[in-house]
Amino acid sequence: MIAESIRNHKKAIIPYVTAGLPNLETTGKILLALQEAGAAAIEIGIPFSDPMADGPVLQKASYMALQSGFKMDDLQHCLKGWSSMLEIPLIVMSYINPLMRKGLSRTLISLKDSGVKGVIIPDLPRDAGEIYADCTEIGIDLIRMVAPTTLPERITKVLSECSGFVYAVSIKGVTGSRSDLPVEVRSQVRAIKDMTDLPVCVGFGVSSASQVENLLAFADGVIVGSYLMANIMNAADPVRTAHDTLHGLLNGS
Amino acid sequence: MKGYFGEFGGQYVPETLLPALDELDAAMETAFDDRAFWDEFNSYMIHYVGRPTPLTRAKRLSDHLGLDVWLKREDLNHTGSHKINNAIGQILLARRMGKNRIIAETGAGQHGVATATVCALFGMECHVYMGSTDMARQQVNVERMRLLGAEVVPVEGGSATLKDATSEAIRDWITNVDTTYYLIGSVIGPHPYPSLVRAFQEIIGREARQQIIAQSGSLPDAVIACVGGGSNAIGIFSAFLDEDKVDLIGVEAYGQGNGRHGASINFGMPGVLHGTRSFLIQDKDGQVMETHSIAAGLDYPGVGPEHSFLATAKKACYVLVDDEQALSAFKLLNRLEGIAPALESAHAVGYLSEYCKGHEGMKVLVNLSGRGDKDIHTVIGS
Repeated sequence: MIAESIRNHKKAIIPYVTAGLPNLETTGKILLALQEAGAAAIEIGIPFSDPMADGPVLQKASYMALQSGFKMDDLQHCLKGWSSMLEIPLIVMSYINPLMRKGLSRTLISLKDSGVKGVIIPDLPRDAGEIYADCTEIGIDLIRMVAPTTLPERITKVLSECSGFVYAVSIKGVTGSRSDLPVEVRSQVRAIKDMTDLPVCVGFGVSSASQVENLLAFADGVIVGSYLMANIMNAADPVRTAHDTLHGLLNGS
Repeated sequence: MKGYFGEFGGQYVPETLLPALDELDAAMETAFDDRAFWDEFNSYMIHYVGRPTPLTRAKRLSDHLGLDVWLKREDLNHTGSHKINNAIGQILLARRMGKNRIIAETGAGQHGVATATVCALFGMECHVYMGSTDMARQQVNVERMRLLGAEVVPVEGGSATLKDATSEAIRDWITNVDTTYYLIGSVIGPHPYPSLVRAFQEIIGREARQQIIAQSGSLPDAVIACVGGGSNAIGIFSAFLDEDKVDLIGVEAYGQGNGRHGASINFGMPGVLHGTRSFLIQDKDGQVMETHSIAAGLDYPGVGPEHSFLATAKKACYVLVDDEQALSAFKLLNRLEGIAPALESAHAVGYLSEYCKGHEGMKVLVNLSGRGDKDIHTVIGS
C-alpha cells in the first residue's frame, strides 16, 4: 500500500512529523493538513531521548515532545484514529529502543493493528533478517535505508530485506536542511533502481521546492523532515504552517 | 554471532557507519595478528606510559578491614588513569588506517585528556565532545585538553553529560566518516569497539596476575573494579575469567539511591544505546533516563555488553556503592595508605567495607583505575 500510494502520486512527497509536538491532538490535525496539501504518505516520528542520527532540529523536536509529556500508550491510542481518518498510509519512524522495550514483535503487531503500514528504524542491527521476516509475517513494511557509503554487496542484502520503499540517504551526515545536496544522489538512486522494483525515495537535507523538483526527476519520492519541523516549531499556527510548507515544496512558492 | 557476547553487543548503527565499522574491524584484526603492532604498543606502554604499574599491598587498610588487600596502581600511569592504555592502542591503529582527524567523547575528562595526549604525541587533530554540565564540574581537565592542543566541543543537548557527548561524537563521525577516527573511551559502542578497547586494557590483568602470584604466592580470592562503561574492570577481569575460584566483582555507582544512580546492570533492562545492546537505565517507554553519580566517569546509563553477558552468565557479580560510601573510601585510602584514588576507583575501594563482612582474611585485588587529584574539589565541596 505504501509503494502503491507513492506510485499513484505524480509528485510523491513524504513529510516527517515528530509525534506529540506540541501535543498529540495537534499532531492529528497536522497529519490531515499534510494529506490535504498533497502528501503521498506520512512518517510519524516517535520521540527518543538519544537520537544519534538526527541534527539539531529533530533533536530539539524529540526533546520538546518528551518534555511536553509524550507517552507511547497515548500514541498507540491516537494512531488508530489517525490511520482511519487518513487515506494515505502512515509510517512510523523510531529508533529501535522504544520499539524493543515491550518486545519488538509485540510492538510491531500493535502498530499493525493500529493501521500503521510501515516502519523505518535508523539503528536496525546489521543483521535485520529476523526482523524483516517478522514484519513480513505481521504484514507491515520494513523500509530500509541505503547510505552514500553503502557498498554494492550490502545494498543487495538490504534490498532483499526491504519492503514499501527504499530510503536513499542523500548525504553523509545527520538529518537537517542543506542548501546543496551532493550531485552523486542521482547516480546513487539510479544504481538502487537498477537493483529493485521498489520505489526509491530520497531523504535527508531536503529544504526547497527546487530540490524537490530536481530530485523527483529521477527519484520516486522525496522525504522532508527537519525543514518542515523547523517551520512547525517556529509557528504560531502549526497546522496551517504544516500545510503551507508542504504546499510550497510541491508547487514552488 | 560475531560481535556479540551472548545476547548482548552487536552493531545497531545508521547504515552510513557500517562500512567504517567494517574497515575498523578489518584493521583491528590485521593489527592484532601483527607482532610489530604489539611490539610498538608495548614499547609505548613501557617508555611513555610508565608500565608496568606497581601492585601495592595495602597493609594498613588490610589491618583496618581484616582483609588482605592488593592495589593495582593504574593511578600511576601517565595522565593519571588506565584510559591512556586504550588511547595509545587506538591512536596506533588510527595511524595504520591513515586517519589523522581524531574525535572522542569524555565524561570526567580522563579519556579526553588521554586522547588529547596521544594526539599531541602523534601530531593529530583532536576534537573532544564533552557535556556542558561536565565541563563546568571538570574545569581543570578541560584546560588540560586545551593545553594539549585539543578542541573541546561543548554539548548542550539532553542532560549535557557523557551520554549526550557520545551521541554528538557519533553524529560527527557520521558526517566526517571518510577522514575521521572515533577513539571511543570504554568497552561500549558497536562492535568492534568493546573487543578493541578490551584488548588494550587486558595489559592490566596480565600484569596484575603475574604480580600477585610473584608477590603473594597465589591467586586472589576476589578481584574488584568499578564499572561505568567498564573498561578498567574488563581489563583486570580478563586475566581471571577462567579461574572458578576467583570471584569477579564489578562495582556500580548507586549515587544517591532511589532512582538517582548509574547502576545499569542492577536496575536497568536490556536495551540499545550508542550502537550496542546491553543493560540500560530506561523508563517503561524505552526512553533513556538521567543518571547520577558523584564520579562523572560512572555517570552513564549504559554499560559494556560483555559485562551484561558476564552478569547474566553469572561469571561476575555486580554490586552497589553509593556516593557517600565512595567519599568515605576516598578519605580512608588517603589516611591509611597515602593514596588519593579517583572517585570512580573509590567505589571499588568502598565495596571492601561490605566485602570484609564474612570474608575475613581473604585476599582481594582491587583495580585502582585512576588518581583523585581531579576530584579534590568535589570531595572538599561535599
